[in-house]
Amino acid sequence: METILFYLFGGLMLGAAAMTVASRSAVAAAVWLVFSFVCAAGVFALLAAPFLAILQILIYAGAIMVLFLFVIMMLQGPVLPAEVAGRTVGRKVVLALPAAAIAVILISWAVRGREAAFGATPVTGTAAAVASLLLNRYLLAFELISIVLLVAIVGVMALGRKQEVLP
Amino acid sequence: MTVGLTHYLVLAAALFLVGMAGVLIRRNSLIMFMSIEIMLSAANLVFAAYSRLHGDLAGHVFVLMVFAVAAAEAAIGLAILVEIYRLRRSVNVDDLNTLME
Repeated sequence: METILFYLFGGLMLGAAAMTVASRSAVAAAVWLVFSFVCAAGVFALLAAPFLAILQILIYAGAIMVLFLFVIMMLQGPVLPAEVAGRTVGRKVVLALPAAAIAVILISWAVRGREAAFGATPVTGTAAAVASLLLNRYLLAFELISIVLLVAIVGVMALGRKQEVLP
Repeated sequence: MTVGLTHYLVLAAALFLVGMAGVLIRRNSLIMFMSIEIMLSAANLVFAAYSRLHGDLAGHVFVLMVFAVAAAEAAIGLAILVEIYRLRRSVNVDDLNTLME
C-alpha cells in the first residue's frame, strides 16, 4: 500500500514539476506547481509528517502560490506571451548539461550502498511533537527565522513604495 | 520491494534536476522562481526522509525553516520582479543586459 502511494504521489509530483518547467504560459506553470506541492504534501504524509503535510498545503500551495499568481496577473494579464525567439534546441541541451552532471552525481550518491529501510514504528511528526521541539531546543532558530520574515516584510514594503527621483 | 530511504533520495534528486534545468533553460524569470521553489521542495523531502530514518523530529523543524525562507525569498524576489517590470516592461532575463552593453 505504501509502495503504491509512494509511486503515485512521487510520480505525480515529479510529472507536475516537469510540466511547470515545460509550460509556455506562466499561469499554467503556477497551476502545475500547486499540483506538485499538493502531491508533496502526500509524500510528507507517507513520511509520518502530518504537520508538515498540512503546512505544505497551507503555506506553499496556499500563500506562496497565491502570491505568484497575483504577480503574474498583475504583470501581464491572464496569458503571458510565449517566449519570443526561444533558445535553440542545441543551446538548451548545452545549458541542461550541468544539471544532468549534478543529477548523475546526486543519484549515484543516493543509490550507493544498500537500501536503508525505515524503522517499523515511525516517530510521527504531529503538531504537538514538532512544536515542543521548535519552542525548546530550537527556540533561537525560531526567533531568528521570525526576524528573517520581518526583514522580508520591511524589504518588500521598501521595494514596493512609489519611486522617488534621486537627487 | 519496500520503499526506503533510497527511493525518497532518488525522487528528491530527480526533482532537484527538474528545478535546476528550469532555472538554466527558461528565460521567463517567473518560471525561474518557480523552479527554485521546486529545488527547495526537493531539499525538504530529503530532510523529512532522514528524519523518518533516524526517528528524530529535528528534520521537521528545519523543513519549517525552509518554508519560512522560501516565503521570504518569494516575497522579496517577486517585489524585485515587479520593480524590474516597471522599469523595463519585461520579465525576460535576456532583456536585463544593461551591464553587458
